[in-house]
Amino acid sequence: MSDDKEAAKPGFLPIETNWFDRLFISVVIWVALSLFWLRFIEPLGLSVWIAAAISVALGAHIIRKG
Amino acid sequence: MQSKKLGWLLLSPTLFILGLFGIFPFIYVLWVSFHEWNPFAANPEKLFNWAANYRKLVFDAQFLASLGVTLAFVFFAVVSEVVIGYILAQAFMKDFPGKAFFRTIHTLPLIMAPIIVGSIWKLMTTPSIGIIPHLLKNFGIDLNIGQSAIAAFCITVIMDIWHWTPLVTLSLIAALVSLPADPFEQAQIDGANKRQIFWHITLPMIRPALIATVFIRLMDAMRTVDEVLMLTGGGPGSATRYVGVHIYKEVFPKTNYGYGSAISVIVLYLTIVICWLLYTSLIAPRNKRG
Repeated sequence: MSDDKEAAKPGFLPIETNWFDRLFISVVIWVALSLFWLRFIEPLGLSVWIAAAISVALGAHIIRKG
Repeated sequence: MQSKKLGWLLLSPTLFILGLFGIFPFIYVLWVSFHEWNPFAANPEKLFNWAANYRKLVFDAQFLASLGVTLAFVFFAVVSEVVIGYILAQAFMKDFPGKAFFRTIHTLPLIMAPIIVGSIWKLMTTPSIGIIPHLLKNFGIDLNIGQSAIAAFCITVIMDIWHWTPLVTLSLIAALVSLPADPFEQAQIDGANKRQIFWHITLPMIRPALIATVFIRLMDAMRTVDEVLMLTGGGPGSATRYVGVHIYKEVFPKTNYGYGSAISVIVLYLTIVICWLLYTSLIAPRNKRG
């Protein structure tokens, strides 16, 4: 994924990534989780903002440790 | 430092055009997707409605159905195009009488506008006057794409294959021509059969061109609109209402710009994710191995 070999580092993700790859993965997960939440969880009464908070936390973890 | 500045200077026209015609429209569509906006309604103002359009689309059975048929369409069309394109590319690598003529003829669909392709196929498949229903009648098949959902779906796939296989063929011819002869000669000397040569030499060596072609076709097939709209109008029912057609119908006849933008964003998201997954699974591991 990454062309920038200097910035690439191994993390818990199964592929070698740089910070932009990890940001991209975080955004992809955020959108997927939000859509899933809107479809299945929000009708149960839990706000989609919870999904946003989870995504931000998960994204920060992926960007730092992924 | 000087070369870095020169690099940015040389890149600037491309970045300007990309920003103006790519990034800015995307940001605008993203912004519109968070609004209720029907410029021809009683209230033509844009009304910010947070994620209401996205909330609507995850429950929109017609959109979800259109997504399903689009994925099926993309799968059948792209796989067929790659297989037929490769076979044709291999055929064009050999000499045969009329090769130049056939190569020109076979490339003709590629230069046609999709709307023309749709018109041609509409003429060819109209039950009363079309040549395809006429020929199929000899085999006892009554083709009517206005009535049969499966027939309509199959004809749109065949039309896409007819239109875009030449692109795959040309890309693969370019890849095959550039291959060095040594590995093939070496493999033949070592006693490899044709299947082994294909799997272990040809395929790995044309892999970058093949994957690039698959990406181009996949992205194109995901946003097919005009030819299908011309041929079937998305019918019968919603059998060929692919996401592009669905977006068209939301945005133009219904002038529901906000909801149409939300669907466009999700289709773009899905296209990027599919391409990224393909890239990660097919190319990234190879790069890692060096």
